[in-house]
Amino acid sequence: MAIRKLLTLGRRRLPLLHPSRSASTVPAAAATPSDVAPSTSGPPVMHYDLLVRAVSAKIQRLDNPDSRFLRYSSPYPALADHTPIVAVPETRVTTLPNGLRVATESTLASRTATVGVWIDAGSRFETDETNGTAHFLEHMIFKGTADRTVRQLEEEIENMGGHLNAYTSREQTTYYAKMMDKDVPKALEILADILQNSSFDENRINRERDVILREMEEVEGQTEEVIFDHLHATAFQYTPLGRTILGPAQNIKTITKEHLKNYISTHYTAPRMVISAAGAVKHEDIVEQVKKLFTKLSADPTTASQLVAKEPAVFTGSEVRIIDDDLPLAQFAVAFSGASWTDPDSIALMVMQSMLGSWNKGAGGGKHMGSELAQRIAINEIAESMMAFNTNYKDTGLFGVYAVAKPDCLDDLAYAIMYEINKMSYRVSEADVTRARNQLKSSIQLHMDGTSPVAEDIGRQLLTYGRRIPVAELFARIDAVDASTVKRVANRFIFDQDVAIAAMGPIKSLPDYNWFRRRTYMLRY
Amino acid sequence: MFPSSNRFLLRKLLENGSHCRTHINMQPQRIWGHDVASRYLSDKPLSWSEGSYVKHLPPLFHPLSGLKLPPFLPDSLERYPTKITTLPNGLKIASEDAPGPAACLGIYVDSGSIYETEESIGVTHLLERLAFKSTKNRSHMCIVHDVEVTGGNVGASASREQMGYSYDTLKAYLQGAVELLIDCVRNPLFLDSEVEEQLTKVNGEIGEIAKDPPQFLLESLHLAGYSGALGNPLMAPEAALKRINGSIIGKFYYENYTADRMVLAAFGVDHEHLLSIAEPMLHDLPKGLPVEVPKSTYTGGDFRQKVDSEKTHVALAFEVPGGWHQDKDATVLTVLQTLMGGGGSFSAGGPGKGMHSRLYLRVLNQYQQVQSLSAFSSIYNDSGLFGIHSTTGSDFVAKAVDIAANELLAVATPGQVTEVELRRAKNATKSAVLMNLESRAIVTEDIGRQILTYGCRKPVEHFLQCLDELTLDDLTIMAQKIVSSPLTMASLGDVDCVPSYDSVSRRFHAPI
Repeated sequence: MAIRKLLTLGRRRLPLLHPSRSASTVPAAAATPSDVAPSTSGPPVMHYDLLVRAVSAKIQRLDNPDSRFLRYSSPYPALADHTPIVAVPETRVTTLPNGLRVATESTLASRTATVGVWIDAGSRFETDETNGTAHFLEHMIFKGTADRTVRQLEEEIENMGGHLNAYTSREQTTYYAKMMDKDVPKALEILADILQNSSFDENRINRERDVILREMEEVEGQTEEVIFDHLHATAFQYTPLGRTILGPAQNIKTITKEHLKNYISTHYTAPRMVISAAGAVKHEDIVEQVKKLFTKLSADPTTASQLVAKEPAVFTGSEVRIIDDDLPLAQFAVAFSGASWTDPDSIALMVMQSMLGSWNKGAGGGKHMGSELAQRIAINEIAESMMAFNTNYKDTGLFGVYAVAKPDCLDDLAYAIMYEINKMSYRVSEADVTRARNQLKSSIQLHMDGTSPVAEDIGRQLLTYGRRIPVAELFARIDAVDASTVKRVANRFIFDQDVAIAAMGPIKSLPDYNWFRRRTYMLRY
Repeated sequence: MFPSSNRFLLRKLLENGSHCRTHINMQPQRIWGHDVASRYLSDKPLSWSEGSYVKHLPPLFHPLSGLKLPPFLPDSLERYPTKITTLPNGLKIASEDAPGPAACLGIYVDSGSIYETEESIGVTHLLERLAFKSTKNRSHMCIVHDVEVTGGNVGASASREQMGYSYDTLKAYLQGAVELLIDCVRNPLFLDSEVEEQLTKVNGEIGEIAKDPPQFLLESLHLAGYSGALGNPLMAPEAALKRINGSIIGKFYYENYTADRMVLAAFGVDHEHLLSIAEPMLHDLPKGLPVEVPKSTYTGGDFRQKVDSEKTHVALAFEVPGGWHQDKDATVLTVLQTLMGGGGSFSAGGPGKGMHSRLYLRVLNQYQQVQSLSAFSSIYNDSGLFGIHSTTGSDFVAKAVDIAANELLAVATPGQVTEVELRRAKNATKSAVLMNLESRAIVTEDIGRQILTYGCRKPVEHFLQCLDELTLDDLTIMAQKIVSSPLTMASLGDVDCVPSYDSVSRRFHAPI
């Protein structure tokens, strides 16, 4: 009898025992009630009761938060004051008599530096016949000069533990070196040498053709690159931005030394170049050196903007579909004509890109992302990955969404994407905009992790904006975007505007062009 | 893309203005004014939506008028020292301050797959996947939103000996970030639903590891080469996934995530400020029972995985005795790895990627058949692996293994490595280390991991000095020490042509 009483007591006390979870040493699972002594009296405990108790015990663990851990962080978007921390080192800019700009940001605590040349030239300044030259040049520039053989050049860089790198895009070409502080003068001398005195040996050119063709194969294997090349080809058809960076294989096989030399003399001119340096560098030293080293550049005053005005990029609503049912996944990008670099609305478009966000199956956010597009996709499981993009050029841009999905959910996915893009013309919540602004500010600043991103930022901004926008101004411009701005900008770029679509893979069930075009507006009376 | 014939047709259509209007897919837009700068101005927005924004914000090449800019930071700031505080429960809080808008936080835990028992095999992998999931104070959704509204980046990584959790953020959100990071590491719930979701995901990824051959081979080398703690798998095996549940994970977590085995590291944060936020949340974290680091024995071994493929991946590895605790040896090893170098036979980009390292000059430039060949190392507190990984077509495997063996023997032979090569490798190592110190994220990780391993943060000068003193003899002796340990081999792909373990081992050790 006594035992019975104890057992019933024990049962009644159970609910009181459970709150002991607050002791953090108790293993999470120790509170499972499976070890409760089965009662032999009273109403029998059914399996169902045990389950209920187990579940409620687990839920209760969430019900008693510790206020120590809930003091600062909040899930609700709010405007933070960044004034105390937006101070950055000064960006010093000197323009030399020939038009060449030298810009530096010093962080002398660093013992390494990045120095490079950013050039207002890229594949859009080629013609159909010379398409691929800018990229070919990027390869050939490391292949020896009048004073240095390839081997000497490579050994010099490697012996000092430096890196020399280059990339070509549609509008910009970059050569930069990263090295220890004491090697900055030498790296700058090498950059000056390869940019002004490259020898472009015929044999080397012929050998490099194979390398580039092989690189082309690699790029063709990266479906994202291919989709964006097709997107440019269709959206900017018959205009310079429609051409690829690598150029057609036929051009790669026929480009000659003359093409390369011509390209350099026309486009690598002093006013279209910026020497940018960051890290352990002193502005005066760099300026002095550049004055001595970069003496052979052409001072032709033609600007890239003048060339662009002669041959502007024109957006054409159109589509490219490459059906291949053997591929497991379909991918497509849908884009609107976007803003140019200097357009004040380009900032609003960046915020809107952030609002649409990006998502992939492995992302930790899962179904809980703030972006409604990401939520729709994650909850309904209609895509493998999604990414909003916003590309700027000198006179136009591309704004849209790229997605990868299984073939059977393309229609749902297309609907979700078009609905969410279109919604920005009608219904925008301030909370979403605030969150997107915070994300944009963070991603811009968090990206500046090291001297190379800083030098890259200086070079790019000087070429596109003609100045480096102070962080405080950039943040002010971002914060000026509110829900009404988003709606206005969406009305300008999205509402009833043509779209460009590029799609590849098993895309039979991807809705047709008119379906997409119809979903750029809603009929509301 | 349009086939070229169609393209031509379309161009014709375009030239014929009346046709193109009816061709919906080809609507040409109005052509913008030629002056790029004035394009924005010429495009007046609809009047009803004209906000104040448009009137006040000039194009981006003009500064905003009336904006007061903060003063510039001075250029010549010294690096701040690393400050370390040990709480009474043994938890260490370490930080290095820095100017600039961003800060990085990290919690590093002296736990990993080496502490797993037979019951808890695979838990480390799951712990990594369960990072930043529901805690006692926040649901997973709340955590995602907390991070998203600041735009910060969180991440977790698991290794055999250490766990790392990091949060990269703007300084304005620092307090919230510290709080969230500590909450996620201190109070995880391991809800059944979340555990199951991750188990399913991990299960689905088991087949995919073979798609990353270097990773697969490294994992296999540990399984074959070590008996004991380091031989535990880092990737949860299929059998373990069936057994693991929330309570096994919870038990492992409470045994290993104790105060004396944790470090809160930060870069870009004032130490006192960090202490004032973090201390109240960490002071009552229990100190664990003293734990003996599980022993591992290096035995050497062979592991082969046949996969239908035209390529074969082979790795040869040896033990590095001592590991991180022998910091001079660890430095020599880093230089040795840079000196041997290597990489893919096809790589885009300019000089500076080790194109004049030994494996490039002596192997990749000589043999077209070798697709990639590189030296690798994987170092732990008291032991480590060093070797060569290569990828070739299956018909060339035997030769590739032979070449790799020759290269390992060559660096162990006095007089084979030249001063020039050594100087190059030393400079490359030195600059790589200094370049890493540019990055917030890497510095934070360095602070956390060094304190876990050494109990303090060694200044970079210490490392640079070790590097300067290093001679050719040190290198040769180190290489000899390495190749005198038993061989471990791992291969993946078409493994039929891979030479037998004994035949390769005989290259290094005279038969008894």
